[in-house]
Amino acid sequence: MAQGIRAYFGHITDVVTTFWEGLSVTLSYMLRRPITVQYPDRVEKRVADTLPPRYRGILEVDTAVCTGCMACERACPIGVIKISTDKDPGNPKQRVITQFDIDVGKCMFCGLCVEPCPTGAIAHTREFEATRKHVDSLVFRWVPDPAKPVPFYRPVKGQDAPRAPVGEILRRCLAAASWIERPSFLPEERKP
Amino acid sequence: MNTQFAIFVFLALATLIGAASVALSRNIFWSAMGLLSCLVGVGGLYVMLSADFVAITQLLVYIGGVLVLILFAIMLTSQIQEISVSNRSVGLVGGYLIFFVVSTLLSFVALWAPWRLTSKEPVANTTVALGDGLLGTWLLPFEIASVLLVATLVGAIVIARKEVKSDS
Amino acid sequence: MRITLGLDSTSLSRRYPRLAILATLFMAFGLPLGLYVAALAVFPLNTPERLDAMAEQWLGYDLAGSPYRYIVYTAFLLLVAFIAVNYTAVFGGVSTWVERRVAGRMQSRIGPNRPGAAGFLSWVADAVKMILKEDTIPAEADHLLFRAAPYFSMVGLLLPFVVLPFGEATVVTDMNVGVFYVAAASAFVVVGILVSGWASNSKWALFGGIRGAAQVMSYEIPAGIAMMVPVLMAGTLSMQGIVRAQGGWPWQWFVFQNPAAFVAFFIAVTASLAEGNRTPFDLPEAESELVAGYHAEYSGFRLAIFLMVEWANMWIMAGLAVTLFLGGWQVPGYGAEDYARLLGTGLLPAPGWFGLQLLSMLMFVVKTWALVFVFIWLRWTLPRVRVDQMMSLCWKYLVPGAFLCFVVTLVWQLLVPPAGVAFTGYALTALALFVLAKFAVATRRNISKVAGHRVDLGNW
Repeated sequence: MAQGIRAYFGHITDVVTTFWEGLSVTLSYMLRRPITVQYPDRVEKRVADTLPPRYRGILEVDTAVCTGCMACERACPIGVIKISTDKDPGNPKQRVITQFDIDVGKCMFCGLCVEPCPTGAIAHTREFEATRKHVDSLVFRWVPDPAKPVPFYRPVKGQDAPRAPVGEILRRCLAAASWIERPSFLPEERKP
Repeated sequence: MNTQFAIFVFLALATLIGAASVALSRNIFWSAMGLLSCLVGVGGLYVMLSADFVAITQLLVYIGGVLVLILFAIMLTSQIQEISVSNRSVGLVGGYLIFFVVSTLLSFVALWAPWRLTSKEPVANTTVALGDGLLGTWLLPFEIASVLLVATLVGAIVIARKEVKSDS
Repeated sequence: MRITLGLDSTSLSRRYPRLAILATLFMAFGLPLGLYVAALAVFPLNTPERLDAMAEQWLGYDLAGSPYRYIVYTAFLLLVAFIAVNYTAVFGGVSTWVERRVAGRMQSRIGPNRPGAAGFLSWVADAVKMILKEDTIPAEADHLLFRAAPYFSMVGLLLPFVVLPFGEATVVTDMNVGVFYVAAASAFVVVGILVSGWASNSKWALFGGIRGAAQVMSYEIPAGIAMMVPVLMAGTLSMQGIVRAQGGWPWQWFVFQNPAAFVAFFIAVTASLAEGNRTPFDLPEAESELVAGYHAEYSGFRLAIFLMVEWANMWIMAGLAVTLFLGGWQVPGYGAEDYARLLGTGLLPAPGWFGLQLLSMLMFVVKTWALVFVFIWLRWTLPRVRVDQMMSLCWKYLVPGAFLCFVVTLVWQLLVPPAGVAFTGYALTALALFVLAKFAVATRRNISKVAGHRVDLGNW
């Protein structure tokens, strides 16, 4: 009987002490800063710039240092990359890239294409925002015009390829092709 | 026809139609809804008789308590639609007999009782008078009723509680 | 910095930030204030005699003898009801926003913050969305009852507004049996829950309905008895009478005037939380077990009515507790004679009277919102109780506790002299302040326990 009474009042004390503790914890969290990042518009820095440097975002190709070895095309397990080469009509010894397409809509960001690249021409950026109205527009053409092909790069021994800083080219292209300002009656953009 | 009479007719109709649907509806849930209408109508009639406390008690006890309990019981019952709910053991003849006897009696009371007609008066504070009456003049019946209710409660608990095994 | 990505809902408010702030301020303060002022203008006139006098004085029209008297009076009552219904809807909406923001911050999130300044207009957006949605009725449901159920809930919500005093003069009607009436009116909400649960013809809804009925019936008992404690202390059942028996200062509130009332306050609040199906007692709609309980089959406007009833019920629960225990609309430093002096004897009172009335409404609103915040805070702190825990809490703890408070109050009223009551008022107020201070310290310590965390109300 006495035990029962002690248990009864023990429950009441339990309720009071646990309420005290729990309410204090929740109130204390209410007074702290929420950790939510208000992506996309209320951020102090671009979210892409806050990501870790080895983040595997959208692929970028610096065609100026591309050797045309097609190692990336072979490495891709799902055929995202499509490269065509040709002889330069003006200079038969020089081979040129006429097409370098990456279908970002299919890409799974595995990074297998980046590893065999001898010059680092193909690389993952930290960009991840490339919304388009049509999935076809997600095919990024790194050689925009087949009529203006890009010559192969010849690596120089003992010297790193002069690769543009990773992400810069892609960011420029994305900004140029942002579809919000682009009226829908215009033809779809060819550039990436 | 003045406004008060119109309100009275409305409330009386709500009561009577509700009461009729309690008896006649094929679906027990609809019977309960009829009971709701009936009880609210009676509550309204109490208000018209300046009995505010009784009217609110009607709402509190009969709708908040009894009706909800009935609805609760209905929900725990299976097969509540499209069944005959009348009592077959007495039969139609007995039913009509009881109906005529009771309705005759009630009609006599309604027509021949010396109803005291009071003048219309605004709702006065009846709570004080009721409290004085219950705890003064009518204290003994009130207490007997409370003791009876306590006995009912204790009995219900005794029936409902599980037997504690004594051997352990 | 601005990053263009897609059309977002805030583009308008971003283009005109001042417009957004103005719209928000209007919705947040202008709308309720307008309703308060309308209530203050309309509610005190709400008797046939005063309407007669006004028509006589200003229009020279003998309304008392006119056959249209009841039509005018009914129109006036409809106006009163219109104000009350709109206030309910606005409060229900605003409280959803407050709840979501508070819940967000308590979980280290932000909550809705886009439409309007600080996301305030999201409740309007929600309401518009709800109204535009299709109103589906299950084929196997009892169509008439399915449609009728939200109205029962709505009636149960709106009936207590008749006696809930917003201010000294701002009450629709001051019934002699006010407290009793509020307790009785809440029965209609249960009927709504039961009818919707049954008419949906869905097992989840049926379970929700049964749970709701069992819960509300059980908790009506401790709630009713705990509410009787201030009735005993004031000696009247009228809501205005109970408020008038208290004072403006905290030590004049009933909750601090006797230890039994202090306990009864917590019992009444707990029981009314359970009656209003608020978490931790939201068993009838427990989403993890019963989908959405009794309103699982509802959609569109009917669902909106159920949700509005649920949130607006917080106002009733909090307002009732404030009225009965926390001094209601009493303004510190102003007594009954101040109201009478400012009212004067003319047909229209002095401007100062309106100021004092608004002040008293403000007192009531602030206290009620504080209590509503506590309800929200409790909801985001406690997990849902089990059915057996709910029942044992009611019958083993709250009912005996409420009875004990009742008896102790009776004895207290008989034996303790006024000086003792006043002393208890000061002592309990001091105790409450001490407990609040301790609580603030404990909360502060909780924050500084984590390295790098500090009080920061930013990131809205």
